Amino acid sequence: MKKLVFIVSLFLISTSFTVSKRIDTLIIKEIKGVFNVEHFEKRSITISNELNDNLPLKITGTNFYKVESNEDHLGYYYLGQAYGKADYFDFIVIFDKELMVSKVKILVYREDHGGEIGSKRWLKQFIGKVSTQNLIYQKDIAAISGATISAKAMTNEVNKLLQTIGILINKQQL
Amino acid sequence: MKKVGLLFAILWISLNGYSQENLQNAGQRILNSNVLNGVTIGGYAQIDYNEPDGSQVGKLDIHRLVLLFGYKFNEKVSFLTEVEYEHVEEVFVEQAYIKYKAIESLNVLAGLMLIPMGIINEYHEPTTYYGVERPSVDNYIVPTTWRELGVGISGKIDNASLKYQAYLFNGFKSYKDGEGVLRGSDGLRKGRQKGAESVVSSPNFSTKLDYYGIAGLRLGLAGYFGKTQTDDTSIEASTVGVSMIGFDARYKYNNLELRGQYIHTNLSNTEDYNTLTGKDLGSKMTGLYGEIAYNFDLKGVEKLTPFLRYEKFNTHADTDGNLAANKAYDRDELFFGLNYKVADGAAFKIDYQLMNNAVSGSDTSKQFNAGVAIWF
Repeated sequence: MKKLVFIVSLFLISTSFTVSKRIDTLIIKEIKGVFNVEHFEKRSITISNELNDNLPLKITGTNFYKVESNEDHLGYYYLGQAYGKADYFDFIVIFDKELMVSKVKILVYREDHGGEIGSKRWLKQFIGKVSTQNLIYQKDIAAISGATISAKAMTNEVNKLLQTIGILINKQQL
Repeated sequence: MKKVGLLFAILWISLNGYSQENLQNAGQRILNSNVLNGVTIGGYAQIDYNEPDGSQVGKLDIHRLVLLFGYKFNEKVSFLTEVEYEHVEEVFVEQAYIKYKAIESLNVLAGLMLIPMGIINEYHEPTTYYGVERPSVDNYIVPTTWRELGVGISGKIDNASLKYQAYLFNGFKSYKDGEGVLRGSDGLRKGRQKGAESVVSSPNFSTKLDYYGIAGLRLGLAGYFGKTQTDDTSIEASTVGVSMIGFDARYKYNNLELRGQYIHTNLSNTEDYNTLTGKDLGSKMTGLYGEIAYNFDLKGVEKLTPFLRYEKFNTHADTDGNLAANKAYDRDELFFGLNYKVADGAAFKIDYQLMNNAVSGSDTSKQFNAGVAIWF
C-alpha cells in the first residue's frame, strides 16, 4: 500500500508540469492533418453586431477562422463550447472551403460522465455535413448509451453551427 | 453537513429574497456569484408505490432521494459527493471522491466510489432505466448501490472508443463481532461496508472496460477479484474469496432500445465459512437479464416507452459441502410496463412484475409498481 501511494504521488508530481499549451498544439496538429500542409495562416472572421444578434452562435472574432496556406484558401475552423450534464466541454469543427464538415474533435472534456463523445468513430458521423442539414440525435447521429446528455448537446451545437453558417452564406459573409 | 446546510440557506435566501419578477435574475445571480463558482448541485429521486397481489397492503415510499454536490477546484482537481436519503430516514453517503485529471486521458481517483459492474451500479439514476425498481439482478447478484473506499484510475482512449477503469477497494465484510454476515438469499449484499468505518484485511481489485466504437452499441466487460474482509484475521474461515465477472450490452437504434447483462460470481471457501457461521452462502451465483423498449415520440421531448424485461438469477447456482441448493433462490422475473418521459430528467412509470422460483408447485407472485423518477 505504501509503495502504491509513493508511485501515485510521484506520478502526480510529474504530470503537474504538463504545459497548458496542449490545446493550441492540438488545434495546429488537427488543421495540418486535415489539410495535409506543413504551414498555414489563420485569418479571423468578423461580422457586424447587427448580424451577430440574429445568429444561433455568436461569431466573436476569436472563434471562427479562415485557413490559408501560401494565399491558397484551404477551409475554415470553429472553436466551440457545449454544456454536458454539469460542465462545459471544448471542441473544434474544421470545414473545407465549401463549408462542408471535414473533422470534429473534442479538445477538453471536463466532467465525469459523457466523455465517450470524444470517440473518434462517433465524431466521424459529422463529417460531410453541410449547412442545409439539421441532424436528429439517434437518427442521423447514433446514440451513445451512458453519454446521452453530452451526445445530444454536441449534436445540438453542431446543428446551431450549421445554421449559423447557412445564414452567413446567405448574407454573403463567407 | 454544516456546509450543506449553509448552501441550502444561501439558496433559500437568494431565491426568496427577490420578488417574483426578479426570479430570473436571482437564478443568474446564484450561478454567477463567487459563492457557488465551481459548485455543481444536482440530485435524483425515486418515489415508489408497490402493491403486491393478494392481501398485503400497498406501500408508498420515497425510496431514494439523493443530493449531489460537486466542486471544481481547478481544471484538474474536482470533488464529487452524493448524500442519499433512503426511505426518508436512513442517511448514507453514496459517493465522495476526489478526481485528479493527470492528462486528458487519465484520471486518478480516491475516496468512496461506485464499483463498475454491470450497467445499473454506475448508471443508477432512475430516469436512465425502465421500470419503477432497479433490475433484480442489480440487487441480488450485483448489490447496487455498491460503493466502497479505494483508489484507482479511469480514462478514455478516443482513438479506440474505449473507456477503462481500475481500482483497489476494501472488500465486503463477511465476519463481524463473532458472527457471519453473508447469506444465501442475497449473497454479498449484506457485506457492503459503504464507507462507514470500513475494515480492510486485504484489498480487492476491480476493473471495467467499455467499448462504444460501433454505432449505437455499447459493450462492457467488468471484473472484481479478491477476498472478503473480517474483523478477526485469526479465523481463516471467516473470509471467502470473491471473483465476479460481468458482461453488459446496450443498443439504441432509432426508437428501439435493447439492453442486457450477465453476471457470474464464484465464491471460494464457502464450506468452511458456512460451518463457522451457520450461514447458507452459495459457492456460485449467476444472474442475467434482457430488456427491450420502444420509444413513441410525443410532443416536444415527451416520450412514451413500453418495455419488457426478463431476468433470471440464482444465488445458489452452486453450493459447497453438504449445503443443499435452496430452490427458492433460483428465481426468474418478468417486468412489463410503461415509461412516460415528460422532460429530460423527469418520468412517470408503471409496471407489473411477475416473480417465480424453482420450488415445484410454487405460485407466481405478482406486484404492481408505480413511481416517479427525477434526475437533475
